[in-house]
Order: sequence, then C-alpha cells, then structure tokens
Amino acid sequence: MFKPFVHIQHLNLSYHNKVVLKDLYWEMNITENYVIGGKSGTGKTSLAKAIAGLISAQGSIEIDFDALSKLPKEVLYVDSWYQFKNLEGVANFYYQQRYTSQQAKDTLTVHAELVGYGKEKGLHFDQVEPILEALGFATFASSQLIELSSGEHKKLQLVKALWLKPQLLIIDQPYTGLDAASRKNLNILLDHIAEEGVQLILICNDIELPNCITSFAEIRDGKLVKVDALESLAYEIHLREIPQFLKESPVYSSQNIVKMVNVNISYGEKQVLKNINWEVKAGEKWLLQGHNGSGKSTLLSLVNGDHPQSYANELYLFGNRRGSGESIWDIKQHIGLISPEFHWYFDASATVWQSIASGFYDTVGLFQQLPYTKSSQVDELVAYFGLTENKNELLTALPLGKQRLVLLARTIIKNPELLILDEPCQGLDQQQTQHFNQLVDELCSNGMTLIYVGHFESQLPTCIEKRILLEKGEVKVVESLNTEILS
Amino acid sequence: MANYFNTLPLREKLNQLGVCDFMDSSEFLDGVSALKGKKLVIVGCGAQGLNQGLNLRDSGLDVSYTLRKEAIEGKRDSWKNATENNFTVGTYEELIPNADVVINLTPDKQHTAVVNAIMPLMKEGATLLYSHGFNIVEEGMQIRKDLTVIMVAPKCPGSEVRAEYVRGFGVPTLIAVHPENDPQGKGLAQAKAYCAGTGGHRAGVLKSSFVAEVKSDLMGEQTILCGLLQTGSILSFDKMVEKGIDAGYASKLVQYGVEVITEALKQGGITAMMDRLSNVAKIKAFEISEELKDIMRPLFQKHQDDIMSGEFSRTMMEDWANGDTNLLKWRAETGETAFEKTPAGDVKIGEQEYFDNYTLMVAFVRAGVELAFETMVQAGIKPESAYYESLHETPLIANTIARKKLFEMNRVISDTAEYGCYLFDQACKPLLGDFMKKVDTDLVGKNFNEGKDGAVDNRKLIDINEAIRSHEVEQIGATLRKAMTAMKAIKTA
Repeated sequence: MFKPFVHIQHLNLSYHNKVVLKDLYWEMNITENYVIGGKSGTGKTSLAKAIAGLISAQGSIEIDFDALSKLPKEVLYVDSWYQFKNLEGVANFYYQQRYTSQQAKDTLTVHAELVGYGKEKGLHFDQVEPILEALGFATFASSQLIELSSGEHKKLQLVKALWLKPQLLIIDQPYTGLDAASRKNLNILLDHIAEEGVQLILICNDIELPNCITSFAEIRDGKLVKVDALESLAYEIHLREIPQFLKESPVYSSQNIVKMVNVNISYGEKQVLKNINWEVKAGEKWLLQGHNGSGKSTLLSLVNGDHPQSYANELYLFGNRRGSGESIWDIKQHIGLISPEFHWYFDASATVWQSIASGFYDTVGLFQQLPYTKSSQVDELVAYFGLTENKNELLTALPLGKQRLVLLARTIIKNPELLILDEPCQGLDQQQTQHFNQLVDELCSNGMTLIYVGHFESQLPTCIEKRILLEKGEVKVVESLNTEILS
Repeated sequence: MANYFNTLPLREKLNQLGVCDFMDSSEFLDGVSALKGKKLVIVGCGAQGLNQGLNLRDSGLDVSYTLRKEAIEGKRDSWKNATENNFTVGTYEELIPNADVVINLTPDKQHTAVVNAIMPLMKEGATLLYSHGFNIVEEGMQIRKDLTVIMVAPKCPGSEVRAEYVRGFGVPTLIAVHPENDPQGKGLAQAKAYCAGTGGHRAGVLKSSFVAEVKSDLMGEQTILCGLLQTGSILSFDKMVEKGIDAGYASKLVQYGVEVITEALKQGGITAMMDRLSNVAKIKAFEISEELKDIMRPLFQKHQDDIMSGEFSRTMMEDWANGDTNLLKWRAETGETAFEKTPAGDVKIGEQEYFDNYTLMVAFVRAGVELAFETMVQAGIKPESAYYESLHETPLIANTIARKKLFEMNRVISDTAEYGCYLFDQACKPLLGDFMKKVDTDLVGKNFNEGKDGAVDNRKLIDINEAIRSHEVEQIGATLRKAMTAMKAIKTA
C-alpha cells in the first residue's frame, strides 16, 4: 500500500482563544489535487499555514516527498496578501508613495527581485520568461515593487511559485485581482506543473478551475470534509433599515464632479496615462475597467488628490481647477475611497470603530475626539453593518471580508458626494460580494456619485449605468450601459 | 563672521536658551493663510526638500525649487526629483527675486555659500527660512536687516514627514524666529503657517529659538543619539565575540536590538523600556546604568561645555577648511570595525529576546538619555527642548542602525552630527574600559534570567521603579507624548 502524500492526524489549532481546527484528520493521496472552499473564517488559511509549517499546531502532519523526483522537496504556501520590503529591509510604506517620483530608489525592481529569488532557490532564469509572458507580466521587469498594484503583486507571487515548482504548492486565493485573461492562463500553467508532478491545494471559491483538480473539500466545525463539488453556499442577506443620515441626498457644490482634459502621466520614459478625457457628472454611476496595469489606479489617484502630477495637468475636481490653491484635504472631504492598496497600507493599530470614525476626517488613524452627533452616527453604522460585536477589535484581527465591510463603512460615514470603490470585493467570496454590492446599490440610491472598478461582469452593483474602459493608459471605450450588456 | 551666541551678554544668552513654549493647537487655527498666495522657493531638493515641498503644495501653497546651475544642466537627482513631480525648477537668478519666502534646505556645510549667493537676489522684506540654526548661531551669518529669518525644523527624516502628512497627521516640529531679523513682526505667523503646511501642527509644536535649537541639537546628536549608540554597539559586539558567542548572532542582536528596545522607549519612555525586562533584570539594568551615568557624566559635561563655548564648532569648521580630513579618516575607521564587517546571522530572534539577551543596551540607553537630558537642563536648556533632543530622537536613530548598521546611521545624519559622534566615541570607549571588563554574557548575548529564580526584594524594586518613573524626562515626556496622540507603531522584529 502506498503512503499518502499528506497525512494529517489529530490536528488541533486555536487562534485568539477560538478553536479553529479540532482533531482534524486528512489524507491527500498522490495524483490528487484539491480545492478547499467554503465560508470565510472556517480555518482554511490556518490549515494551509500549518501544512507549510508556518504556524505551529498540535498533532501530526506528515508529508511523504518523492525522493526520486527532481522537484524541490518542499511545501510552498502562497499568501493571499503580499508583503515586500525596501532595500533597507523596512516594511513600512504608505499608500501614496508609489505615485511620487524619487531618485533615491527605495525598493527592488521586479527583475532584481526575481534574479535574487532564482539565485536563492537555484533556478534558471530562462525558465521564468515563458511564465512572465503567459501572465502578461514581462513588461513589468523594470518596475519597482512599490509601483505595483495589488493585482500585479499577486502575479509576482504566482510567477515565483510556478517557477519553483515545489512538490506541494498551496495557493491561498490564486485569482484575486487577476483579469479574465490572466485567470485563464494561470489555469493552463497550473495544469502544466501538475503534469510535471506538482501537487496542488487551492484555497478559493472560484468556479473556473484548472482541469487537474480532482477533489473538493470544506472545513466544517474544525474538520476537513470532502465534498463532490463546491456548492454555492446558501447565504441569507438581512439588509437592515439604512440609517437616516445616509438617506439624505449628498449636497453637491458643483454638478461637475470630475473633468479631465488631455491628461498625461509619466514616470521618466514610461507613460502610464495618455491624453485622457473624461467627465463625471453628479449622481452618475460609473464602471471603470481595464487589464492589470492599464492605469486604473493612477486615474483614480488623480481624482482623490493623491497624485503629485495632478498639478501640471488640466484637471477639474468638484468644479475647481486642480492646483488653484486647494489642499488635498479640501478634495478628499467630498470623497469616500476604498481600494485593495488602500486596505493594504491601512493603519494596523486601529480598532473597527476608530477605522470607521476616521472616515469623517479622511485620515488613516483617528486623531481627534468625535462630537456626539458624529460618534452616534458611527454607532448607527456599526450596527447597520452588523459589526457591533467587533467594534473594539483590531481591524486586522477580523477576516478579510469583514475588514472590507469596515472600510466600506468608513467610506460612506460622511455621506460623500463621490464614492470610489476600486475592486472592493477583491478577496471576497461570491456571497460576500453579492451582499457587498447590494449594500452599494442601497447606499447609492440617495443620488451619490459612484466610480466602481471591477473585473467580473457578473459581480457588479446593478446601479451601474456608464462604463469607461482603459487600455495601456488610453481611453478605449466610454459608453452608456443598459442592463442587457451587464447580465 | 563671529559666533553669534558668544557676542551676546549672559542675560541674553540665558534668555534665548530658555525660549521654549509647547504650543496649543488653537495657535494653528489660521492654518496656512499667512502664506497663501505667497511664492515659496525651496533651495535644494533632497529628502527634506522634496517631501516638505510635496506637503506644502498639497496644502494649497505655491512651491517651486531653485537649484545651482550645474545641478540643472547636469540633470542631477535633485533636478529630477523636482521636475518629475511637476514642480517648477529654476536657477537662483530666475526664481529668488520673486520669492516671498526662500527655504534653505541644503546641508549645513553649504549654508554660508548658499546664503551669500541668494541674499543679494532676495527682494526687500522677504523671508529666509532655515531648518537648522548652525549657520546663524555658530557661524554668525549676518542677514540683511529688511529680511525676516525663521526656522521650521521637523524632527523626523524627510520620508516620515511625507508619510505622516498623507495619512492626515504630521511629525513633531520645532519653530523659531531669529530676534535680530523680524523687522515686520510677521516671523512667527509665517513659521506657524509653514508648520501647518507640512502637517507638523497636528503632532506637537515647540516654539524655540535659533540658539536653543542649535545648542540642544548638537548636544543630543553627539552624546546619546549617535555617540553612545555607536560606542554601545561596538563594545557589545566585541564583548560577545570575546566570550565566544556566535558572531552572526551577535551582529544581529546589536543591529536590530537597539531598534526593538527603543521602540518601547518611544511608546512609553524609559519606564516602558525598563518594564519590558523581568524584575531581576530591571534591577540589574538600573544598577549598571547608575554606574554608567557616574562614569560618563564628565564626558557629557565636556561636550555640553564645548558646544556652549563654541569650541566644538570652531574645531569642526577647521576640519571643513581642511577638506574634512578628520571626518573622512574617522568614517573609514568606523567602516573597519568588526561589528560593521560581520553580517547579521540568519537566526530568528524574538521580540522579547532582544530585551532579555541585551540588557546591557537597555542600561546604556537609560544612562545616555537621562545624562543628556540632565546635562542640557543644567546648562539652561528647557526640559521640553531637552526631551526632543534626547529621548524623542533616539528611536529614529536606532531605526537607521537597524537598516545598515553604523555606516547607515552616519550616512543619514548630518556631517555635523557625524563629526561630533566620532569625537564622543573616541573619548567614551577608553572611559568604559574597566566597566566592560566586568561585563559578562548574562548582560549581553544570553538571557539574563537564565539560572535565576526571579525573586527580588519588594522594597528595592519599589524604590527603583520610583526612581525611574519620577525622573524629569519621564514627567515631561508623558505630557509631550500625549500631544503626539497617534504616534505610529512601526513593525520591528
């Protein structure tokens, strides 16, 4: 009889005094490739990290590596969240840093990072090139790590994993932030390495998966349960009555929210936005789309007052020419913004309540006492989002889905004129996404202006009525939508 | 040019040393309005220049940069920094004549040349802004009588000035008006507005004077901030190697230990730092830091005396005139120390382990911070100023050591600080010779608590806690830290 490849017995694990895994037993056989799905917060990530030896747990985990295989005898866990350091080994960055040109280079380039990784792991560089090509990442070789968007960081993580080809590869949320083409190519690449002998565990709830996947599982009550397929989970959505102060229509100081005239942005020789012309009027609901690296985040940074190059462009925000004596805080007070990058750089020392309250002042961190009316509005919103139990917990201690809800609450607390939601559902499962988008529809029904970035056509708020598509830094399409195109 | 401080009568010396007013946030209700619509021209575009300029522009002010012709024509980094972020850049002749405020953010050593070049071009009644007073106080630079001279000094590296601003906060800042140059009485209003434009008004602003800033800044950087951290790091490393501790481990413990230890100092003063130790270790650290204070007190006093008399700046400027002969020699020597040349080993050291296995550094930091603070206060500097230049800045310097050891620290700090640091280090090492002979690996390299049962005498512990907590640097620190409400915790270990 063959030994199983992964053999787990009596695995117990607690996190923050909560039991996550309870006497878990699992055999993963040679030739099997798993998808582990199910609700968030059930312990999928903890199990993965325990298998990879990144966290300690009680019980036994045996992995029977193939001594004859040429593939590295190791388990690689690819985190759902990326992490990088600057040249001096410091991991403290801030959100707007990537938009500022600075000659003193802070972080490695993608190329240098990969060269270093290859050296460390003894890999040949010519083998990484086809992977870069397939994921549309080759053009980023000279980009610094700090300049990458979250989707691009995800690609970098995947490139390393596909290049290494460890005997056991565990990827937590492999598709997060990837556009449709990249997702398809990733699946092809995963099939290739599976054929070469890599065994896969993917943690996700996605439907389009590599062909090599043989088995599905979920974690229920701390135990691993094999299932035939990932069912779409029944998810009850209780929309509470929306707080009164958010039903009021925003007061617009101007009907012209955004106007860009031939806007250009470049870093040295590299042009990231070319001749952008775009107008957003009060109350409009926009969808902004484009491939990874098409310039979406940069475009939004101009709107949010975060880009130093705004000052040399013809740009009007809320009726005023940019650079006419306004401060960035004058601009931000009209806007509520959330993006994966903003989330990544957000204050790790803030509680849920403080995170939401800081939205009144557009600050990362809460630096003042709230007057009574404002603090009771925070309480109301906390209750509306079902976060009352969590309000004194650290934001970073919550599961990702809940963290996103908190940050959504932060963006709307002041009932802003403009809501910018840049891939707000990245990393959320389908049910959470559906819930989130229903909230957005409800919140925007008071006449709020919306700019929404999303890759998946099927997962958008229904209120969207216009679309702008970027391609390689240029406006490719601007159109009004009817519901047929969206469905 | 004569040393400005030495031209003053004693009464005025004491008067200017004693300027120190921790400003209430209500003083900043006017925001940037005193500078609104005015032309701000920054000389130099390095880390401070660029980041302060980005903040000022994002606060709605009109900012441009002036650089020397060679920097523009050669498209040097300073030129690229400014142009790629869409700032107007011009020569002195092009931009200075129209400037309402000229901001000098060049290195100390260039101040005389820069100010001599720009002063004739400045328009009647304009303002000259410094972020360090060395040129005015030590070199005695005389500024045209129609010009206003002010200082705004953010107490953080340029990158932090920007990072804190964009998250809606700021860094603690010191402001001052030069009493010889405030012909229209607008100096303070402009300094406050500039401070608000960089975000400093949210994090605690200290109104100081050029004299107080220079005399306290020099003292802090030479003794506790750079000097003692360098001496302590080198002696600790050498001791561990001598006693057979793995060199890679020793290197890592020293390189990162000081950052981890002073992060506690930043959050809660010496009390918090000492509280991270077990009771037995705390008592030991207290006792040896008392001993260290006695040994080093005369050296701290000598540094303060030389700074006050102008002797320090005189000898340093001689070295400037000499092509930095001493500075370059000492810099090279630091690069050759065993600590510097031994890379940090690939070992995991837990956060608490840095305290338990590096009790000696905790003692060094307590002794150094308290001594620097006490010596400054005895010399007539106010406790608030002394706090900023001792305890407050220690963690910032420790961060630079964690990045790339002493070489990095000495690269980041000013040449003036570096020069003073070497002077201190050379005098301090022999002074500690006998003390270090008694030090064993329980204080540095191994867990102090190992093999001890942890029992302590109640009364002794109570007395020691009381001594630590009641020190004046702790009292003033508690008040000042409250103003920096949202001080950011950094990711260490």
